[in-house]
Amino acid sequence: MEAVRPRGAWGWVSRIFYLLILTMGALTMIIPFLWTLSTALKPLGQALVFPPNWIPHPALWSNFVQTWKTVPIGSWFFNSGIVAVAVVVGNIILDSMAGYALARITFKGRSILFFGIISMLMIPFQAIMLPVYIILRDLGLINSYMGMILPQLVSAMGVFLMRQAFLNIPAEVEEAAIIDGAGRWRLFWQISIPMVSSTLLTLTLIIFMGSWNNFLLPLLVANNQNLWTLPLGMVMFQQQYYTNWPYLMAASVMATIPITVLFLLFQRWFIQGIATTGLK
Amino acid sequence: MAILALEAHRKSGLRQWKRKEATTAYLFSLPTILLLVGFSLGPAAYAFYLSGVSWNLLNSQHWVGLSNFSQIVTMPLFWTSVQNSVIFAAIVMPTQTIIAMVFAAILNQNLPARGLFRLAFFFPSISSSAVTSLMFMWIFNKLGLLNGFLLFFGVNGPDWIGDPRFALSAIMMLNIWSTSGYFMIIFLAGLQSIPQTMYEAAMIDGASGFQRFMKITVPLLKPSTFFIVVMGMIGTLQMFDQSFIISGGTGGPLNSTMTIALFIYQEIFSYGNVGLGAAATVFLFVLVLALTILTNRWLGKPIEY
Repeated sequence: MEAVRPRGAWGWVSRIFYLLILTMGALTMIIPFLWTLSTALKPLGQALVFPPNWIPHPALWSNFVQTWKTVPIGSWFFNSGIVAVAVVVGNIILDSMAGYALARITFKGRSILFFGIISMLMIPFQAIMLPVYIILRDLGLINSYMGMILPQLVSAMGVFLMRQAFLNIPAEVEEAAIIDGAGRWRLFWQISIPMVSSTLLTLTLIIFMGSWNNFLLPLLVANNQNLWTLPLGMVMFQQQYYTNWPYLMAASVMATIPITVLFLLFQRWFIQGIATTGLK
Repeated sequence: MAILALEAHRKSGLRQWKRKEATTAYLFSLPTILLLVGFSLGPAAYAFYLSGVSWNLLNSQHWVGLSNFSQIVTMPLFWTSVQNSVIFAAIVMPTQTIIAMVFAAILNQNLPARGLFRLAFFFPSISSSAVTSLMFMWIFNKLGLLNGFLLFFGVNGPDWIGDPRFALSAIMMLNIWSTSGYFMIIFLAGLQSIPQTMYEAAMIDGASGFQRFMKITVPLLKPSTFFIVVMGMIGTLQMFDQSFIISGGTGGPLNSTMTIALFIYQEIFSYGNVGLGAAATVFLFVLVLALTILTNRWLGKPIEY
């Protein structure tokens, strides 16, 4: 994309002005994270100094080890990981299957089904937490991994994303295979899925992020602390025990690392996914 | 005769094939349909039913009709929660939309280090609400980073989280901070579809940067704006995590951070009033639906050039 080139002195002034605004905005976004890291490295006494001091002296990297030993953060990581992996696998399979049917097969009721699924986007989880809790309770899924997995196992947004991807496959690709006598199942698995692998990566990232960061569902389901996930565990740790800010911030840093690594590695796919689902 | 039979055969073959295709399509969608009915549509409908019963999860349900509704509308706490949620949405949604749009428009210019800026703006929205809430509790501490910054300008900052006059504002700042970057990405995608030639033509006509923004960018971004306003409204009206975490689940101090979603949570988990919580759930649905329809009337019309 070729952008408009600035012209003359006024152009340069406005460019500098824009850069200044962007820098201020970017700093506002990043400073809380830097402050979290700074606090995570301080001895408790130093963290409570006012006015605040930016540079930890000495930098206590051992805070991370101590936090790991003091709170069961390892088990929270494990639980978050189990739930997130199951949810991602479920979404990859189920969202793709539904997205494929909606994109590639002509059948009666297709548009009703499509709009029915899309309208589920209008029902966010917070609004239905009460009935969902009761349903999970009736199914005996409170205090189980399944209770945290099942409600997230498909996503209307994921179906939409996959449908868009399957729509972009040229019809000729499948026609050739149909003439060779391939059934829908083979068309789906062997021909179409490999052609949408980039969207599958986007889906994986978005769904993983949603599950990893989910707070409310574990709050409803995991009353037993052996099942606490990272977000829930950290909040409970803060509310029930004490306010040791360096440890809390060290836990926050550790909890953010997996998402940060994924994001830095796959930034393009993250952004592509948000742009696609946002554009409609 | 033979041709007719062949034709009939062909037709029945086509019908058969169509039926087979439909069966396959429904089989492919079946798990999705079941799960969405079980955990989205079903619960939504179930909330309407539950709003008519008196039940504490342990005793047997009995039907009370509309009395749960007449009960919650007489509860001051309910109206406090509605007021907080509506104020929260009315401030956060427009602010984050405007910030996202302005920064997207700036970032869409030919400036250095665009990738880095985009990364910085987007970063807060990939972090969990739990982590960002804890981070901001620490920043908003009476002796925290924000007040240290204010002290630099000679201002003695308040106890943001402990003071009922400031607690909701603190959560607003947190929310604007954490969602603006996400919406900015959506605007950036929308901006890519505006042809650069329009800006060039406007520049030749001598339009200033501000005029170009107001006359080209804002109107042509309408589809993205519509999506962002609706999503932002739904998101802000249901706000739960940040209030719950920062107030320790109480909605305090003095119910200043009590939102509708937190009210629902407390009705069921603190007081065991399933019916009252369900009545508030139905209220929230109707509120969101009504506002979405209004937004649709206001922004959803096709763009007129």
